[in-house]
Amino acid sequence: MRRASLVVLAVLVGVVAIAGAQARALLPDKASSVKKTTVTLTGWASSPAETAALRTTIAGFERSHPNFTVNYAPINGDYPAAMLAKFAARRPPDVFYVDSNVAPDWMSQGVLEPLDSLIKKNHYNVKPFFPRLLSAFKYKGHIYGLPKDWSPLAMETNNAMLAKAGVKPPKTWAQLRTAAQKLKDANAVPGGAPVCIDPDWARLLAFVYQNKGSFLNAKKTAPAVKSAAVRQAVQFYAGFQSAGLAGTHDKLGVGWCGEALGKEKAAIIFEGNWVVGYMSDTFPGVKYTISPLPKGKVNGNLGFTVSYSIGKNTSNKKAAWTLLSYLVGKQGMHLWTQQGIALPARKDVAVPKGRSAFLKQAGYAHPWQFAPRFSKVIDTANNELTAYFQGKESLDDMLNKIDSAARDALG
Amino acid sequence: MAIAVPKRRLFGRTKRPGSTREALVGYAFVFVPMAVFLLFFIYPIGYAVYISRYDWGILGPLENLGWKNYSHLWHDTLFRRAIKNTIEYTVWVVPAQMALGLLLAVVVNQRIKFRTFFRGAFYFPALASSAAITSIALYLLNINGLFNKVFGFHRAWFYDTQTALPAITALNAWTTSGTMMLFYLAALQAIPTDVYEAAAIDGAGPWRQFWKITFPLLKPGHFFVAVVSIIGAMKVFDQNYIVSRGTGGPDYATYSVVLYIYNTAIKDSALGLAAAAGVVLFIIIFLFTIVQWALFGRQEAN
Repeated sequence: MRRASLVVLAVLVGVVAIAGAQARALLPDKASSVKKTTVTLTGWASSPAETAALRTTIAGFERSHPNFTVNYAPINGDYPAAMLAKFAARRPPDVFYVDSNVAPDWMSQGVLEPLDSLIKKNHYNVKPFFPRLLSAFKYKGHIYGLPKDWSPLAMETNNAMLAKAGVKPPKTWAQLRTAAQKLKDANAVPGGAPVCIDPDWARLLAFVYQNKGSFLNAKKTAPAVKSAAVRQAVQFYAGFQSAGLAGTHDKLGVGWCGEALGKEKAAIIFEGNWVVGYMSDTFPGVKYTISPLPKGKVNGNLGFTVSYSIGKNTSNKKAAWTLLSYLVGKQGMHLWTQQGIALPARKDVAVPKGRSAFLKQAGYAHPWQFAPRFSKVIDTANNELTAYFQGKESLDDMLNKIDSAARDALG
Repeated sequence: MAIAVPKRRLFGRTKRPGSTREALVGYAFVFVPMAVFLLFFIYPIGYAVYISRYDWGILGPLENLGWKNYSHLWHDTLFRRAIKNTIEYTVWVVPAQMALGLLLAVVVNQRIKFRTFFRGAFYFPALASSAAITSIALYLLNINGLFNKVFGFHRAWFYDTQTALPAITALNAWTTSGTMMLFYLAALQAIPTDVYEAAAIDGAGPWRQFWKITFPLLKPGHFFVAVVSIIGAMKVFDQNYIVSRGTGGPDYATYSVVLYIYNTAIKDSALGLAAAAGVVLFIIIFLFTIVQWALFGRQEAN
């Protein structure tokens, strides 16, 4: 019995040894290959089209920088959670995406490399970047990332429905209200609602900015939600719903307002650049028009932007900068944005065809961004807004609760 | 299943020759799982308590706060709401799971045709991923969904403040019932058949047999299932996360304690506060378990 098992063991050891030798023979000889620098790149991948566009951009980089190899490994699933683990292990990728929303946390906690000295040393010109977008990645006077692209909100309107009601895409708040009423009167959206809006501050806040209001004060030291400007904007926004002129996505039986446009459950929605690819992929038959958001007292919008940044504990910062500066550079950003995945964050890169309505917003878009450790405040704000939408809470109570949650978080 | 074995047989043994060696072999077997348990359970729990006393960022401690994280939680309306929701959910889902699990176990314990098929079918929801089931439920319980069409409602179940948490409760009671059935089935089969024979001779019908024999004799089973079920219920997260996209909405209706921990740790990178919330959850579950042990478990040991 014992001898038999020894024989088996010996055979196993032999097999493993032979297999190991074989495997080694198959590997390329290290000495003979050209020495290349490998740069690791991480982001999330929202769609196969996005991955393909990024691979094209990376190929462009590798062509113009033959000594570099890019190891692109996107994270599927929970990006902030995966990055948190990498930061905590002090082994972040060399170059990676940073969403403007999470940027205050990552910048304040020192996991991102300040790029100032690299910018200075390489005489890199940051002037072509839209200043509002660049500002999303500045913290205490330092730059922690360069915006790779962005999207503001715009208004998408169903052509046939607007024609049926005899209205043009509205340009002001008053016109928007009238258009919604006419769409309702003409029963232009059977089984749906003229407008799709959700109790979501990532939409409402654009209207707040149009009314000269804001969530935080300019220095981001105190909330500013209890102002008359915010109250008016909330009343205007939610007023569509209480007047029966708008439905939330769940009431319209869809996953989000973009789907409401596609399934013709709403004639007017407010979404960003991401709606374009979605519509052409999923609902190519629906004809719609993209217009700038209607103007309130002033023009105002939200900018959803993402940067490329370098980790504080990234091992090869010089190589990381080479890749980063290419990706956000004129050539790299052109390659990345020309297929219409996103809008260029630089003035000197042309906008893809049919997206000019988005570009007009660049001057007055405020980054979707608050202060460090603010995500639960936004959750609170959205839950309170839902309660207000559902008629379970007064406007005053809602704004008071958001105000106190914001004060707690700001300390 | 260990719970169904009478305890006397395990511990009431007198010493006999060779027992030392047997014990050593036993400890050798226990060693590896025990090492894993210490390294991956006990040590992290201790470390979480340590972290919970700091303002702990992504890269480590920022400031020693003493017990301030705990007093912050005490005053945090969001955390209080999360505790309330989680307990409310537990109060509803645990009895539902246990009743459903017991019912299914009794059904598949009968000598009926296709018994193996039914066992498999009833256990199936426990195998499917909760994320997949929730995503499908989002469609079924949509305002234009199948559920409303069939039963004539007009309601967005997951987005209505009144029904969001009950909808998740019902969904989870169903998905976990298979696992509970398995536990109960093991406990059922440990009940000796002669008691039923004696009862049958005495003229007790099936209904009476169930309430007078099966149900009381399942006591260790009840204890085990209740503990497992409560621990699972207190940790509810994925369904709430998917349904509300992480916001805990509508109007905080689906904000659970683990969702609070997740948002605090991952989105706010306030790991000290998140650890404190985790410790509070641990204490609550621990207290629940002690109470249950006092109610069901202790008498069993006598």
